[in-house]
Amino acid sequence: MPSFWRKAWLIYRKDLTDEFRTTDHLLSTVVFGIMLVFVTSFALQLVDVSTNDVFPAVLWVSIFFMAVLALQRSFAKEVDSGALDALLLAAGDRSILFYAKFLFSLTVLLLLEAVVVPLLWVFISVAWRKADVLFLLAAIFFGSWGLAAVGTLLNAITVQLAGARLLFPILAFPLLIPVLIGAILCTQGALAGDRQSVLGWLYLLMIFDLLFTVIPLLLFDYILEG
Amino acid sequence: MAKDVLTVKHLKKELGHKQVLKDVSFQAEPGELVVITGPNGAGKTTLLRILAGLTPKSGGEVLWKGGRIGYVAHQPMLYPNLSVQENLAFFGEMYGAPSQGRFQELLELVGLWFYRLEKAANLSRGMQQRLAIARALMAEPALLLYDEPFTSLDAGGREVLREVITACREVTIQLAITHELQNFAGLGYRELRLEDGRIVEGGGSSA
Repeated sequence: MPSFWRKAWLIYRKDLTDEFRTTDHLLSTVVFGIMLVFVTSFALQLVDVSTNDVFPAVLWVSIFFMAVLALQRSFAKEVDSGALDALLLAAGDRSILFYAKFLFSLTVLLLLEAVVVPLLWVFISVAWRKADVLFLLAAIFFGSWGLAAVGTLLNAITVQLAGARLLFPILAFPLLIPVLIGAILCTQGALAGDRQSVLGWLYLLMIFDLLFTVIPLLLFDYILEG
Repeated sequence: MAKDVLTVKHLKKELGHKQVLKDVSFQAEPGELVVITGPNGAGKTTLLRILAGLTPKSGGEVLWKGGRIGYVAHQPMLYPNLSVQENLAFFGEMYGAPSQGRFQELLELVGLWFYRLEKAANLSRGMQQRLAIARALMAEPALLLYDEPFTSLDAGGREVLREVITACREVTIQLAITHELQNFAGLGYRELRLEDGRIVEGGGSSA
C-alpha cells in the first residue's frame, strides 16, 4: 500500500496532467491577470502617485483575484467529473486529498504569478535599487502558501454546495485578511529594503500558513463527509 | 465471526429530518452475490455508500474487516481528460503499483485494451462504465459494491459484467443494488428487498 505522501504525490501529478491537458482555465486566468496589470498600470499613469507606494497593494489585489479564480478548481474538477467518490475510496485517509490539492493550488498560483508579477513590476516601473529581492520572493511565496491553503480548505467545504462559485470569494475574503495584511506589508518592507519590518510580517505569514496547513489534517474527514 | 464476513446490524441513516434507513440488518459471506432491490427512495444507494465508507451512518453497526472495497457507481467516476490507460494506472498506483500483466488482463477483460490510449471523454457511456468496472477491480477488492451496474451497458457490456461477477465469485463478497433483477438471472444471487428503510421478508434467490 503506498504511503500517505506517495498517494498525495500521485493525486498532485494527476491534477497537473489534467490541468495542462485542458489549458482553458489556466489560460483564461493568466489573461485575466495580464488585463489586471494593463488596466492598473494605465490607471496609475493618470494620477500622481508614487508607484513604489502602490505596488504592494496592486500586486496582492491582482494575486487575490487570480487566486479566487484559480483555487476554485482544485476540488471542482473531481466533482465535475464525478470522480470524488472513487478518489476518496482509493485515498483512504481524506487528509491526503487536502495536501495533494493544496500543493496543486500552490503550484498553479506560483505559475500564474511567474507571468503576472514581472509584468506588473515592469509596467508600474517599480524603483528596485533598495529592494531586497530575496525577501520580496519570500513574501510572494509565503503569501501564496496562505492563499492556497485557505483556498483549498474553503473549496472543499463549498464545492458540493449550491452557489459554490458565489460562496467561495465571499468566505475567502475575511479568512484571507491576515494573509493579505502580512503579504502587503512584507512586500512594502522588502521594496524599501527594511529587513526588520519584513521579518516581523514574514513570521506572521509563516504562522498563519502553518496553522492552515495543519488544521485540515484534523478537520478534513468531517469536511468531505457525504 | 469470520473476519471476511460483512455484517450489518440495525443500521440507521438520517438525512435532515428524514430517516432514510430505519433498521437494516443482514450478513453476507465470501462467494455470495447479494442483490438489493426496492422502490425509488427506499435507501438503496445510501446503504451502499455507507458500506463503502463514503457516507457516515447515524446508528447501528457495519462490521467489515475483510480488506479493500471496490465500488462501481451508476456514474463512471472517471477523469475525462486522461486516457483509459492513465485513468486505470492512476487508481492502480493509488492501490499499490499494479503489474503490467494485471493492467492488461483487466483491460482485456472489459474489452478496452485496444482503446487504452483513447481519452475517457471520447468513450461511449457504456465503455466508460466498463472502465469503471476495471477500476473497481484494480483494487483487488474483498467486497465489491455495484450501484445499478447494468445501467447504460449494451448487450456486450452486460455480458462483460456478468463475466466479471462470475470471475470474482470465489474471493469476493459482491453486493449490488438494482431495479432490473433480470440482469442477474443465472448468476446465483440472494435477493434482499429494501422498502421504507428496512429489509423486508420475501426476497428471492436464483441458482
